Amino acid sequence: MMRYLRLALVQLRISAAAGMAYRGDFLLEGLMALAWMAMTLLPLFVLYQGRESVAGWDAPSAMIVIGYFMAVRAVLEGVVSPSFVDLVERIRSGAFDYVLLKPVDAQAIVSASRFEPWKIFDLLGALVLVVYAFVKKGHAPEIQHVGLGLVLFVAGVLAMYSLWILCAAASFWVVRLDNLTYLLGAIFDVARWPVHVFRGLWRFVFTFVIPVAVMTTFPAMALLGRLDAQTALGTIGGALGLLLVSRLVWRFAIRNYTSASS
Amino acid sequence: MIRARELTKHFQVHKRPPGFVSAMKSLFHRTYETVKAVDGVSFTIERGERVGFLGPNGAGKTTTLKVLSGLLHPTSGEVEVEGHVPFKRETELLERITLVMGQKSQLIWDLPPSETYAMNRAVFDVPKAAFEKTLAELTELLELAPLLDKPTRQLSLGERMKCELAAALLHRPTTLFLDEPTIGLDVAMQVAIRDFVRSYNQRHEATVLLTSHYMDDVVALCPRIIVIDRGVLIHDGDLRQLIKAMDPDKRVSFTITTGTPPTDEELGKLGTLVTREAQRITLKVTEAQLPGVIGHLLNLKAADLAIEDPPLEDVLRVMFGQSKAKANGPGTGA
Repeated sequence: MMRYLRLALVQLRISAAAGMAYRGDFLLEGLMALAWMAMTLLPLFVLYQGRESVAGWDAPSAMIVIGYFMAVRAVLEGVVSPSFVDLVERIRSGAFDYVLLKPVDAQAIVSASRFEPWKIFDLLGALVLVVYAFVKKGHAPEIQHVGLGLVLFVAGVLAMYSLWILCAAASFWVVRLDNLTYLLGAIFDVARWPVHVFRGLWRFVFTFVIPVAVMTTFPAMALLGRLDAQTALGTIGGALGLLLVSRLVWRFAIRNYTSASS
Repeated sequence: MIRARELTKHFQVHKRPPGFVSAMKSLFHRTYETVKAVDGVSFTIERGERVGFLGPNGAGKTTTLKVLSGLLHPTSGEVEVEGHVPFKRETELLERITLVMGQKSQLIWDLPPSETYAMNRAVFDVPKAAFEKTLAELTELLELAPLLDKPTRQLSLGERMKCELAAALLHRPTTLFLDEPTIGLDVAMQVAIRDFVRSYNQRHEATVLLTSHYMDDVVALCPRIIVIDRGVLIHDGDLRQLIKAMDPDKRVSFTITTGTPPTDEELGKLGTLVTREAQRITLKVTEAQLPGVIGHLLNLKAADLAIEDPPLEDVLRVMFGQSKAKANGPGTGA
């Protein structure tokens, strides 16, 4: 366990160093983070122009969903996505062999092989947004709701991570898989809206098939004190289930890995 | 110790003829072909041995190394390395072996090698004191001091290879699989790497299995060689014995600087003429003829006289030629 902790710390330090190897990029990315935050909020302002509520969500509550969306996206773009790009590159070049030769779990190495440290600004931005939303609402969240909101944030991140690991496992068979993650990224964009905005089949899909609701809507409802225990447990169970499935598929994929040519 | 018994590795390869039509067809109907990359190979290598692994391109060398290091599951047969089954990838084994691939890099491209080393220290859980001692030793042997803090992308190929070797050895493995570790390097760097591998082998009683396209590497490093061709083992044993069995004749080289140089016809009486470049002549002479030929050459006042075994390249060329003829077999040509 200590080995994995130390490994995570070294990877964090190395990725930070790699991120800062090109100093110009680092500054630029910081500014980009601010620009993205503004862009993310824009549709919300447009939607609530002259409306009190949409699908039972008032503007500050919808803002909390966007807060969660920004936070999950920060993890996605800060850790999961760069690591995935790194993994695909390693599989293509055959350097993935070196990962398999290490006496630690390969999934642990590739899941956090690259960080984009400035994404921490996005995470802070998300926090500021959620605080602002509660100021607009005129009351603070209750402490147990904050607790559940945090637990469900972790569940949401795990669900998102599991989807990407499934893609990663698929890349052992189909090496050029960048497009699939673009598609997944586009679908993830749906998570900025409360799932109740969608009806019928789409709501079912976004809750159970590609569970974006698990990533943002349900955690936001938990923080607002609107989530019933059953859905909360379902969300946590669903995220853990997805994690288990992705782990099994990953292990199966590793067994069938054929290694690029010499 | 490394042991392989009846090791076999087959790959299913998708096959299609070139052209647009067959590309379209292959979307719906694919034909697969089984490639026998390794086909029933057996050998045992004792601890501390240095063994050269030779064969033409596509003979199955790299596949065998990948099976031995646990990267690939064998199709059938048994493999054991340091008492473990490699493809189970147990921590105890992975901490004791290493694989260096001359064509693949584990160094982090944008950062200095020292960062990769820090990473490997965490991965292999090497205590700080042991890590520093090993790194100091490797730095001295490989002359890494000026390279450690330069970004990898700024290193030359040879410098990078030295850093790759260090990265692969920081956890002090006792079994080394080296796949073309000197590829693309100049002669001086090849010699440096070779010397280093020998010294590491002696210091740590490490087992070394080496593949290389440079025969000099193999001749200089490996007393024993294993030769495979088309996935089948065709020789396992002492390097000198192999050369003797395949081509027992000696190569006699000399330079004629005084008097009239002998004609090709005159040389033909002494042995078979191999090369003649300016005044330097090389003859192929049987062992029985050797004393007579030497006496004659001394009478001719030949200078820089050298008697050598045939080059390994030549021996292998003959050997692979034979194995090809055998593989095609009588009857298949009809």
